Amino acid sequence: MNLGRAWRISAREFRLGPRSPIFVYAILLPIVMSLLISAVFGDLLDPNPRLAISDQGYTELTDAAEGMEGIAVTRVDKPGDLREAVEAHDFDAGLVLAPDFGRALSSGGDPELEFYVSGSSLASDRVLLAAAATDLVAGAAGESAPVAISVVPVGDEDFVPIGDRLLPIVIFYAVVIAALFLPASSILDEREKHTLDAVLVTPTRMSEVLVGKGLLGVIMGVLLGVVSLALNQALANRPLEVMLFLLVGSIMMAEIGLILGSLVKDANSLYTAIKGAGVFIALPVVFIIWPTLPQWIPKLTPTYYFLQPVYDIAISGMSLTDFWVELAVACALCVAFGLLVSAVGRRAEIRLAWAA
Amino acid sequence: MADTAPAIDVDGISYSYGDTLAVRGVSLQVEPGEIFGLLGPNGAGKSTTVKMLTGQLQPSAGMIRVLGMDGSGDNAEIQARIGVCFEEKNLYSAMTAVENLKFFASLFGIRPFDPMPLLERVDLAARGDDKVGDYSKGMRQRLMMARALVNQPDVLFLDEPTDGLDPVSARTIQGMIREEAAGGAAVLLTTHDMWEADSLSDRVAFINQGEILALDAPETLKLQHGQRSVRIRARRGPNEVEELVIPLEGADAAGEVQRAIAELDLLTIHTEEATLEDVFVAYAGRGLDA
Repeated sequence: MNLGRAWRISAREFRLGPRSPIFVYAILLPIVMSLLISAVFGDLLDPNPRLAISDQGYTELTDAAEGMEGIAVTRVDKPGDLREAVEAHDFDAGLVLAPDFGRALSSGGDPELEFYVSGSSLASDRVLLAAAATDLVAGAAGESAPVAISVVPVGDEDFVPIGDRLLPIVIFYAVVIAALFLPASSILDEREKHTLDAVLVTPTRMSEVLVGKGLLGVIMGVLLGVVSLALNQALANRPLEVMLFLLVGSIMMAEIGLILGSLVKDANSLYTAIKGAGVFIALPVVFIIWPTLPQWIPKLTPTYYFLQPVYDIAISGMSLTDFWVELAVACALCVAFGLLVSAVGRRAEIRLAWAA
Repeated sequence: MADTAPAIDVDGISYSYGDTLAVRGVSLQVEPGEIFGLLGPNGAGKSTTVKMLTGQLQPSAGMIRVLGMDGSGDNAEIQARIGVCFEEKNLYSAMTAVENLKFFASLFGIRPFDPMPLLERVDLAARGDDKVGDYSKGMRQRLMMARALVNQPDVLFLDEPTDGLDPVSARTIQGMIREEAAGGAAVLLTTHDMWEADSLSDRVAFINQGEILALDAPETLKLQHGQRSVRIRARRGPNEVEELVIPLEGADAAGEVQRAIAELDLLTIHTEEATLEDVFVAYAGRGLDA
């Protein structure tokens, strides 16, 4: 295996990408979908998270909050009114500063701060406002926040904003179209036009071709997954852990793409296979959007083992420690699909020589 | 390995597509600097033989040595030193000629690589930055030939390199084949064009139904299996033309020709010899296009 040669196969694909309609489609689809969802259901047209502050005597922190860019701060007189307003989703979050908060803070005490979060707010807004509140207190008191912030969800705790709920569709399209479809269509195109014959009479091995094309899918899958999540402001929470699952998912999808591209007869068969398999591999998306459905069903599909962790880490505030089992299963699936790619690749090489 | 070793040495190779035996016991040698024509109709086993030599297929029996290296198993070392020109115009049509050549040079690990000398050889230097998808058939075939030469191969495999080309493109490619052979490369040419094989090849092999029927220099084969003759056309009357064929194998052939020249009102006189097609028919009992 010559990795340099595998990379040259990838590099050719990247260089030619802008000339390929499929490549452009794979890039544009998740981005356009992200922008559409953000515009229609998210905060693309209403970019500033809304923070209410009920200041009972510590005005320096409130002044500092009002000076922060990117947050719309509103003063509310009574803590009870603030809570009601947050419950009604008039604000994304609310902060109650008790009358003795400033004194306790300056004397090195351990004051308590109540932070209300609207169940209807976007996850990205919650993360942003919680971080902003922590920064404000830290800025007022020193390098680390000497206060215990208790975050109190109010309103419908199970409510997931539609913008967040549709996120799995964007992740699915970003990873599956790029990581699965690009390698599959590329290898099929080379088989149909017999350019692969010419490559395989050089010192290039079929394994290097497969790795090169798989690399294209993995890089594009991760890249578009990250871009899509960023566009949906869903990458703030544990980005490295999200990217780890995007990477594993992209490897898995690229392997399935290589298998399909090596096996199918022509472009029509590829589209039919992807449409047929699409129902199966898109299943977890349906179950994430409607979480009341039986959750054991999507576990039967390979895509569950990266889509669910990506969603839950990005949106629900969970972490890698909650998904060790899913990560292990996803890695095992990658190994199994990798072995299958190797066998199918050898078969495709012989069929190619027979057919030409 | 001594310099005198054959560039291609094949002994008794066979290959089956499932239950169909496509090549059976083929043996041949091609020397450095030699142009070797492998002739046969479609489905005779030419392409399968070449695929075994280029490492695309592994023979089920027999031995292959290319440039002194064992051709069974992983052929990367052999493939680094061979060039292949396919009948199918399998170029990357979305890429330019320069990009095509640079990409294949990179697969051979050749860096830096300047494609212009090769493009000049095939008269494509001025169109090097054009997409191959916009090329004519002749231009694509010339680029295919250039691609086969990016690694300055010691052995060239050419599959129907001038099939369906205009005379100018065909002459360009034939000229390049001769140049490569003159430079020491062994050339294995598969074709069903007997005229091309006759004019280019130092030796030819006839292959039919997977077996080699005959192998020798074209001239030798034609002499062994064809009939030489003189064909004379002469005027017999105001509107009548007589045609006379005098076999040159006869005891008094020279005398008959002299008498005809002296006595007849000659219109044309031609010597005739068997073509490779005639010889192939004599061996295979069928023509090349059958």
